[in-house]
Amino acid sequence: MWARASAGVVPGFFLVTAVIGLVDWLLPGPWQSALVPSVLAFCPLWVGVICASLQFAGGRQAWLWLGALAGTGLLLLHALQTLDWVR
Amino acid sequence: MKLKSTTLRAFTALHSWVGLCAGFALFVAFYAGAITVFQQPVQQWASPRTVAAASLDDMQGLLDHVLATHQEARIRLGMTFPGYAGNSPTAYWPDRHGTWQFASPEQPDGGPTLPGAALPELINALHYSLGLPLAGMYLMGVVSLLYGIALVSGLIIHLPRLTKDLFALRPGRNLKRFWQDAHNAIGVLSLPFHAVFAVTGAMLCLSVVLMMAIGPLAYRGQLLGASATAMDTAPQRPVTGVAATLAPVSTWVAQARAVARQQGLRDFEPRYLKLSHAGDSHATVEITGEVPHAMATGTLALDAHDGTLLADQLPGQRDANHATLAWAYALHFGDYGNALVQWLYLLLGLGGAFLFYSGNLLWIETRRRRQQAEQRRSSRLMARATVGVCIGVCVAISSAAVAAQWLPRLGLSVDNGERWACFVSWALCLLWACLRTPAQAARELLWLAAVVTAMVPLAHGMATGAWFWRSAAAGQTAIAAVDLGALALAAGFAAMARASARRARTGEPNSVWADTRE
Repeated sequence: MWARASAGVVPGFFLVTAVIGLVDWLLPGPWQSALVPSVLAFCPLWVGVICASLQFAGGRQAWLWLGALAGTGLLLLHALQTLDWVR
Repeated sequence: MKLKSTTLRAFTALHSWVGLCAGFALFVAFYAGAITVFQQPVQQWASPRTVAAASLDDMQGLLDHVLATHQEARIRLGMTFPGYAGNSPTAYWPDRHGTWQFASPEQPDGGPTLPGAALPELINALHYSLGLPLAGMYLMGVVSLLYGIALVSGLIIHLPRLTKDLFALRPGRNLKRFWQDAHNAIGVLSLPFHAVFAVTGAMLCLSVVLMMAIGPLAYRGQLLGASATAMDTAPQRPVTGVAATLAPVSTWVAQARAVARQQGLRDFEPRYLKLSHAGDSHATVEITGEVPHAMATGTLALDAHDGTLLADQLPGQRDANHATLAWAYALHFGDYGNALVQWLYLLLGLGGAFLFYSGNLLWIETRRRRQQAEQRRSSRLMARATVGVCIGVCVAISSAAVAAQWLPRLGLSVDNGERWACFVSWALCLLWACLRTPAQAARELLWLAAVVTAMVPLAHGMATGAWFWRSAAAGQTAIAAVDLGALALAAGFAAMARASARRARTGEPNSVWADTRE
């Protein structure tokens, strides 16, 4: 349980950061206009990811999947920001 | 959704662990938080003398005095309107070291101590930081996260049998089943309330740390800088260096009411204001207030010299940032609706405290060795800690309330004395719980809680002559309610003490709660 839950805590944190960032920056209008709802949504989403991580078959899968998703999400967000496709 | 039995077991383990880690802190937060809902009546109750209701003129006098005597207050100053946080207005501003200073008409020169009785703030500090310094708030933020995990995992475990078990409160010889039923029913029935607290509690305690962590990752390091603009109503105006005179507070209030009325919001009632760059021609004032029948507060930003409207975030017109913030605050503090909402928050808060207490009891009960008198060391330790921390904090808060009434009559410092009464009595309860068997400690500390809590109205009546029947007859129902609430709690503790004694005598013998041997 601990290996899976820790995957929810550590890579899960980066995954939620990426999701929050993507949603906030992709929504119509400037990202600043949805800043407070995004920060408010962070903790419940993180809790959700921690709980959902127990659904993985094992700790290794949980770390790999969540880590890969988080990395992809953050890279995508940075690419969109750098290319100025979102603002 | 059908879960595999291994997954369900993992959720059960997660629920137990996070419940154990966060349960004690959550009990304190909920018990103290339930009382904090009535912060204003407790403030009136604990104030040594009743301060007459102040007027806008008193507020103006205080504002002028503070701005004239404190240079730093001109940069940034907040002020409550009379009747919002007590009868008197309070001004507050950070000094040059960043320490908040407070002033009121009674203490116009200001100082680092919040005016008024210290008791409500002490109980509030227990609620949001366990009474610890700054790190306590972050700790409670983490506790809020664990609380969220406990809620979700608890719901997942309980979901398959939800409809079947929800109203199945089964009293009888199987005490564990009874506690489990009560724990589940309260947990599920008050789930929306708990979800609100887990989310808003985490936000209130952790938002700054969180923004510092995610800002560079997802917001190109601009998150903290943008948050001030997103949360303030007033636009950022550069200081001009040109001196100008402020309009009187009454002009700001009249203008705020007029703007609110134009937007269809009648009876806008100001609660507090934020003034920046007083004396400069670009001085701005934000006035936050309530509108009857509107959920959450609304804010207007005015030019502080002529009252021109600069921007507004009133109910019905707010942007996503301000609406979210106003809702989060209103839902967390329960300061919407009428007294019924506050009583509901009190009951749900006490129900929450029960949820964490019963969670610990269930943990102990699940590990009970039914066939032998000797119980596990972990069970005994958990039982002692539960009794010492949970019943201890009830004794501690009541002790602080008694001290608040009696210390001034003994010529002693109220503020420090209350803190000492609170934390020393709490520590002694913990020590007592370590020295006695869990069954003895539970019974004795519950009786102690009953006696000390029953002393709360007694101390108030003896110290001030304001016995609750007199307060009620004089129309001071809020003050009478504090006394009566304490009596009701005392009766509750006495009933629990009797039940614990009965359990120890006649319940199943092989338990940490039985009066046999440890």
